[in-house]
Amino acid sequence: MRDFVVRVAFIGFSAFVGAFFALPMLWLVFAPFDSTPTLAAQIPEFTLENFSDLLSNASALRSLGNSLILVAGVVGVVLLVGAPASYVLSRIKFPGRDVFLYMLLLMSSVITGAAAMVPLFLLTFELGLNDRFPGVILVLAGGMLPASIFILKDFTDTTPRSYEESARVFGATTLQTLRDVVVPVIRPGLAVISVWTAVNVWSNFLIPFILLRSPSKSPAAVLMYSFYTEGGQPNLRLIAAFSLLYTVPILLLYGYVNRKYGFRFHGGLKS
Amino acid sequence: MAGIEISEITKIFPGEVTALSELDLSIEDGEFFALLGPSGCGKTTLLRTIAGLEPATSGSLDIGDRDVTSLPPGDRNVAMVFQDYALYPHMTVRDNIAYPLKVQKVGREARYGEAEKAGSSLSLDGLMDRRPGQLSGGQQQRVAVARAVACRPDVFLFDEPLSNLDAQLRLEARGFLKQLQKDLGTTTVYVTHDQGEALALADRMAVMDHGVIRQVGTPTELFHRPANVFVAGFIGSTPMNLIPGVLGDGNVRFDGGVLPLNGRGDTGGEVFYGIRPEYITIGDVGDISGTVAITENLGAQFLVTVDVAGQLIRAVVAEGSEPATGDTATVNPDPDRVLVYDRESGELTPGAGYH
Ligand SMILES: Nc1ncnc2c1ncn2[C@@H]1O[C@H](COP(=O)(O)OP(=O)(O)O)[C@@H](O)[C@H]1O
Ligand SMILES: [Mg+2]
Repeated sequence: MRDFVVRVAFIGFSAFVGAFFALPMLWLVFAPFDSTPTLAAQIPEFTLENFSDLLSNASALRSLGNSLILVAGVVGVVLLVGAPASYVLSRIKFPGRDVFLYMLLLMSSVITGAAAMVPLFLLTFELGLNDRFPGVILVLAGGMLPASIFILKDFTDTTPRSYEESARVFGATTLQTLRDVVVPVIRPGLAVISVWTAVNVWSNFLIPFILLRSPSKSPAAVLMYSFYTEGGQPNLRLIAAFSLLYTVPILLLYGYVNRKYGFRFHGGLKS
Repeated sequence: MAGIEISEITKIFPGEVTALSELDLSIEDGEFFALLGPSGCGKTTLLRTIAGLEPATSGSLDIGDRDVTSLPPGDRNVAMVFQDYALYPHMTVRDNIAYPLKVQKVGREARYGEAEKAGSSLSLDGLMDRRPGQLSGGQQQRVAVARAVACRPDVFLFDEPLSNLDAQLRLEARGFLKQLQKDLGTTTVYVTHDQGEALALADRMAVMDHGVIRQVGTPTELFHRPANVFVAGFIGSTPMNLIPGVLGDGNVRFDGGVLPLNGRGDTGGEVFYGIRPEYITIGDVGDISGTVAITENLGAQFLVTVDVAGQLIRAVVAEGSEPATGDTATVNPDPDRVLVYDRESGELTPGAGYH
């Protein structure tokens, strides 16, 4: 009897927690199609007008484009710099390597945190990179790199050296070995950090908000902040429609990466 | 085709670990050569030095008539089968076998043809489209060998290729490796810590210990005339008896009595009396007697350990004729099979023993 009560209480509680987190999702699905959305999730009075309004707003589509540029740039920099760096850190043991890695990880949360905003702003200003995409891309990539290197190093560590050595004995050059053996084997790791970086950059508000001054360069996360009616009220119709549009690329990205590369792990060969 | 000439190769790892110490070895063209030794004696290091994966600290290495000491691995025309097989998990069996040819810029058609041939010679037909992860240990091992075969090297290097297989498969794999090597006639260096495997496979073999070679010869030579007590203790499924004693006139004396010897007149030296358990008979009559301490069933034979005045002496007897534990039994070595080792140097002394 007691067991039963505990079970019912537990299931009831779980259902409540589930509903609590599901409600915003419901809002995200219903509100964009509602002609008079509120902050509550409600069955909509169906309309597509919100979207046609949104599409006629030139800055909305442009901001999604800006976000894509930032994501592509940061993912590109993180992969191009992070993969070779993690390979070297995995294969060459030098004194203080582990301390170095942990320091890197520790510093990364400082670099992109609010504490470093003023120095970062000044730095990009000095370099002539303020209000330009490369500046934002470098700052964001700098924040993502340490953890990415850390994760990728782990993937590389689990790749047996004998894979590379056998390729070398067959006469493969270092580049061939990296291309044919190392990269394919750590591909799940590359996929993981790509998606992780993309999601982080896509949703980052603070850094582009501070470093990009021109409204025409705002990425989607920043633009959403500017949807107000003439009366100064948040324009819920635009915000709702834009929110849905804003989530779509991330879902597509996840689906694509999962199908193409798969978040699978090949694991060792020993039977 | 090519032989291998190793002269005064030394390998010192960082941290002053001497893995190979002025090692000389010559391996003939077309020979199946086994490197045998206990774990950590430097076998893998020697193999990797031949492959070029470890640069030698000093010394020189020739393959065929080329000095390859300073050549990178890819230019030595050797193929190595690693202990973990090193198959690429993201490639099919076909692509794995064809990979060395791809590196050599052989066209797609030609290299898949070669892969098909090599795979088929190792009974891998029907498995060519699988990934290594979908194969059993024995099949993975054959893929690794097929990949080595496909690149038609001058030399095969095997690093304990059977150690990850279970006993049944190991026997089978041993057979086909031997057959394959005979068919191809490619010089092969085979590293193992299993003396049975070395004896079964090798045309000639070397026993290594702490970075040096203790003896080189045919399996028969090494089994019948181990050059020192190290080799004597390492080769043979049951280790040789090494009984400490003093040379008398045509015999060896120890606490338990007088051990027979043929054809030796010198006296007084401190020696080990070496005799394999297979060459001792157990009986009721004889000079040396003791109590049976242990009997172990080896299948068709029994290993009997007799305690003679504190010295344990092992003998192998046919099943059914073994004494019971605690019995009194006599130990009768065959004097024609005895080897005498100097006790200080551990080296075989000339004169007595099997030739
Ligand atoms: N990369 C290395 N760095 C330092 N010492 C090593 C290295 N590889 C092997 N050794 C040492 O060299 C010796 C021989 O090793 P190895 O050739 O692997 O022996 P085996 O294959 O006969 O078991 C061992 O003492 C081992 O610890
Ligand atoms: Mg080894």
